[in-house]
Amino acid sequence: MIPTSDRLSRWTPAIFVCALVNFGFGLALSVSGFAWPLAPASAPASLAMVHTLTIGWLTLLMFGALFQFVPVITARALPSQIWPLATLIGVESGLVSMIGGFLALGRGGAAALLLPAGGGLVTLAVLLGAGALLVPLIAKRPAPLSARFVLAGLGFLLLTVLLGLAFAVALTVPALGPALGPGLAVLLGDGLGDHVLAGIGGWFTLTAIGVSYELLPMFMLAPHDRGALGVAVLVSGAGGFFVAFGAGLGGIISPGGGVWLAEQIGRLAIVLALGLYLLDVARLYRSRRRQQIELHNRAAIGAFVALGLAVLLALGAVAFGHLTALAPTLVLLLLLGWLSGLGVTQLYKIVAFLAWLSRYGSQLGRHPVPRVQDLVNEPGSRGVFALYFASVAIAALAAMLGWPEVTRAALALTLLAVALLAREYLRAWRAHYARAAKPAPDRPLPIPPPQGARR
Amino acid sequence: MTPSPATLREDGAREALRDVIDPELGYNIVDLGLVYGIAIEGGVIDVTMTMTTPGCPAQDYIVGGVERRLAEEPGVTGVFVSVVWEPTWSPRCMSAAAKAHFRIREDAP
Repeated sequence: MIPTSDRLSRWTPAIFVCALVNFGFGLALSVSGFAWPLAPASAPASLAMVHTLTIGWLTLLMFGALFQFVPVITARALPSQIWPLATLIGVESGLVSMIGGFLALGRGGAAALLLPAGGGLVTLAVLLGAGALLVPLIAKRPAPLSARFVLAGLGFLLLTVLLGLAFAVALTVPALGPALGPGLAVLLGDGLGDHVLAGIGGWFTLTAIGVSYELLPMFMLAPHDRGALGVAVLVSGAGGFFVAFGAGLGGIISPGGGVWLAEQIGRLAIVLALGLYLLDVARLYRSRRRQQIELHNRAAIGAFVALGLAVLLALGAVAFGHLTALAPTLVLLLLLGWLSGLGVTQLYKIVAFLAWLSRYGSQLGRHPVPRVQDLVNEPGSRGVFALYFASVAIAALAAMLGWPEVTRAALALTLLAVALLAREYLRAWRAHYARAAKPAPDRPLPIPPPQGARR
Repeated sequence: MTPSPATLREDGAREALRDVIDPELGYNIVDLGLVYGIAIEGGVIDVTMTMTTPGCPAQDYIVGGVERRLAEEPGVTGVFVSVVWEPTWSPRCMSAAAKAHFRIREDAP
């Protein structure tokens, strides 16, 4: 917890720490050989790994960032700082219970109940977190574009966790499926695609787009107003994910030509939205007024490239009927390349910024203080970001070629990169580099001297 | 023309505020163009300023920095800071020195 003003989310640093630990644990499950790629994707350890990455890492990361940035977007405070803490505790304890439940699958006994119990706890926790965010989001009129993306993302989060909870119950009590009726039984058996679509697409991607529309212009001094293109991304993206999700569910319960057509229209709208978003991001980078881009935004280009590659690969996979075979590659590109890539790059700046506020904010005006960029070592971190994105690219390529050992080795390098980045975040938080740049207590830190200024 | 005492005091206040930085941009708030106006009456200083973005998490700290720095000036008995959002800040508000530091063209929109 950091003792700060109402504009700061006190529990965001703790949420980021838990998220990073979960990220490392999820990758370690894969690298150790217990989970995919050496084990089947449907193996209990693989399910534990995927949910550690999606709930423990990405969902917590998103909430940590949103608890901090929704008040920035809306200029309104969260209703309480307790809600983020409760969300963290609920998600973390629910995830631990879910992992225990996954590992107990097929063994029977009371331990199997850990899965629906954990799923229920996660559902309650994200409802609480979403509620804390909805208060300022709904109060803001007119809602800015980035806030609308977040609202849409939260809607899909709700769909994702409710569907996931239904899976948890069905996996734990297999007899329940048929008892609920044939349509619902099929849904619980075949609805995985919709669960993934709502989670990776609706929740993570729409929210990441919204946050990026706030952070990228702010840090690069680019125009905030995304104009008609930004609105088109929102309408096409949120609409596309919703239509594809609805048609996917409808197709499972009651297959038909109309449902199939709606699903294709939804998919096309998603591709259009992501294509327009990438065009807009390129426009945003070109129109920046800050010519010298900081490392976190230079490295973020790797995340946008991963998203572009995933869109092209998905198009090809659908066109040639290889979607199932290429699903692991797509998930790697989207989860580790696009979403986690954007996450680790933006954390590099956000952690330094929060560290500055908590450490130097109250000293401002009393004596010279370092800048946020003095808390990081950009030259020393370039190679780490390169290692991260290169290892993810190799892992994705190896997954596409069916080389599980190479995928596993590449993910070991990803884990190494995450560990090195975590060390850099910790150093930024402790002002390690700022201290190193301060040989004497009374010597001013390297504040750039403007022409004509006294220093 | 000899500057009036009031002008001198305002200039002095602006100079003092060059010690306060926007932590994210890492540059002083005067040359960034965040200080819209300074009014001095007796020992009381009223500062009208803005932030680079509404709801900036650093707002309370920057305002606090302005208050603390000006309070150190001789004869100052009170500092009041008003944060406004109109006119909206943009890099056009920066001084020539700040634009040169961030490599922003003088004619940038």
